[in-house]
Amino acid sequence: MRKIVKLLAISLAMLVLAAPAFAGKLESIKAAGVLKAGVKDSQVPFGYVDEKTSKIVGFEIDLVQALADKLGVKLDVKPVTSATRIPMLTQGDIDIIAATMTHKKEREDQIDFSITYFQTGQKLLVKKDGGVKSVADLAGKKVGSAKGSTSEQNVKKAQPECTVVSFETYPEAFLALKQGKVQAVTTDESILLGLKNSDEKPGDYEIVGEYISPEPYGLGLVENDSDFRDFVNLTLMELWETGKFQAMYNKWFGEDTPNYIPLNWQMELWP
Amino acid sequence: MAYSFDFGLVVSGEYGEWLRQGLLTTLHISAISIVGSLLLGTLVAVLRLSRITPLVWGSAAFTEFFRNTPLLVQIFFWYFGSYSVLPDFVNQWLYQRDFEFAAGVIALTVYTAAFIAEDIRSGVFAIPKTQLEASRATGLSFLQAMRYVILPQAFRIIIPPLISQFLNLVKNSSLVMAVGVMELTYMARQIEAYTFHGLEAFTVSTLMYLSISLVISFAVNMYNKRVLKIAPR
Repeated sequence: MRKIVKLLAISLAMLVLAAPAFAGKLESIKAAGVLKAGVKDSQVPFGYVDEKTSKIVGFEIDLVQALADKLGVKLDVKPVTSATRIPMLTQGDIDIIAATMTHKKEREDQIDFSITYFQTGQKLLVKKDGGVKSVADLAGKKVGSAKGSTSEQNVKKAQPECTVVSFETYPEAFLALKQGKVQAVTTDESILLGLKNSDEKPGDYEIVGEYISPEPYGLGLVENDSDFRDFVNLTLMELWETGKFQAMYNKWFGEDTPNYIPLNWQMELWP
Repeated sequence: MAYSFDFGLVVSGEYGEWLRQGLLTTLHISAISIVGSLLLGTLVAVLRLSRITPLVWGSAAFTEFFRNTPLLVQIFFWYFGSYSVLPDFVNQWLYQRDFEFAAGVIALTVYTAAFIAEDIRSGVFAIPKTQLEASRATGLSFLQAMRYVILPQAFRIIIPPLISQFLNLVKNSSLVMAVGVMELTYMARQIEAYTFHGLEAFTVSTLMYLSISLVISFAVNMYNKRVLKIAPR
């Protein structure tokens, strides 16, 4: 019995001592020769399946590709959902999350975030003749949104007199808007643009109002791995400073794309 | 890195309040639907037993349709599908109100009523046919015979399956979150989205469902034992 206890104690001690040595994500990615990224597969234009090639493409895929290039490893993208992305990261199925994830304080105790790589804000999608022009007009009205998003509480705070109806997905919320069940759909402007453009008559709808809340997207990283986080942050800044980031941005959100969003913010750059 | 559990987060403060609100909504929608489905189910069963052909066919069609289609589809049907069937002014009137909750109640009531109707029918079959004949012979109408002689006995027999239907209804009520009713499961999902502490939120909500179900079956069993004096067999 005593022997077993001793053996257990020794192996436990070895595990504890050995763990930090293996923990470095940067080393393990280089050793494996592949960067595994969790991305969205139905969120135009961040990450979606291209009709012609059947491959996942998008702004966020280009971004993690740049990280993989910098590391000199291959990129392997895995589709994730809002519900699966955190467990997959903490279990090591993926090394990084690039999936339209808003950086929120509450989320910090499970994972770490990179600096902001996309800045959007929550707005309203309404019918053109619906009489809603701003958040103030929502008093006593119903607003549609999707579950798993943070849009609901934000609009509640901005306009306590409105009722929020949350659906499974944004297309359902949009259908409710078309049928007149809700008077507006609210979420990140970038997603609203995609919804509006998905309709046969995009001209019947418009995106209105001031930003209800800022939505800074960050890359999700394993908690407490400083080396890897430094690498990601410094690479993002380098992409910005060399203009590569802006080129990537314009490819997906530029003026001649259907998802035009002007680049009106600055990446956090450390001197 | 391991998942760090934090139950304090989901049972107190803002998130605790969300769960409490969700629990109240679940109880609210379940209570209305239980009463509604029992009444509607009884009606359908009586129509089915009435021997008036159109009524028998109508109630049979109702039962088969609503118990053989997925509840989630029915919820979407009542919520989104009603738009094209109902006239515009009715839609406008409905959308001014809490139509999400109403569509959820209708779907749960109709779906469960189809099952309850079958339970009641089998309960009635368990009562010897001669009782109905005897009551009709004393001058009671069909409905009176049902009301005073047959149904009171049938209900005693079918109490165990009836409890199961009510428990199913409570758990099925989690599906109405698909049309935006903020019940318990909805709130647990929402907490997961905000904090990434989904495991805790779902553990707590599971315990709440378990408690509701146990209270319902305990209450009905007690009613049997104390009021109806039926000993468990």
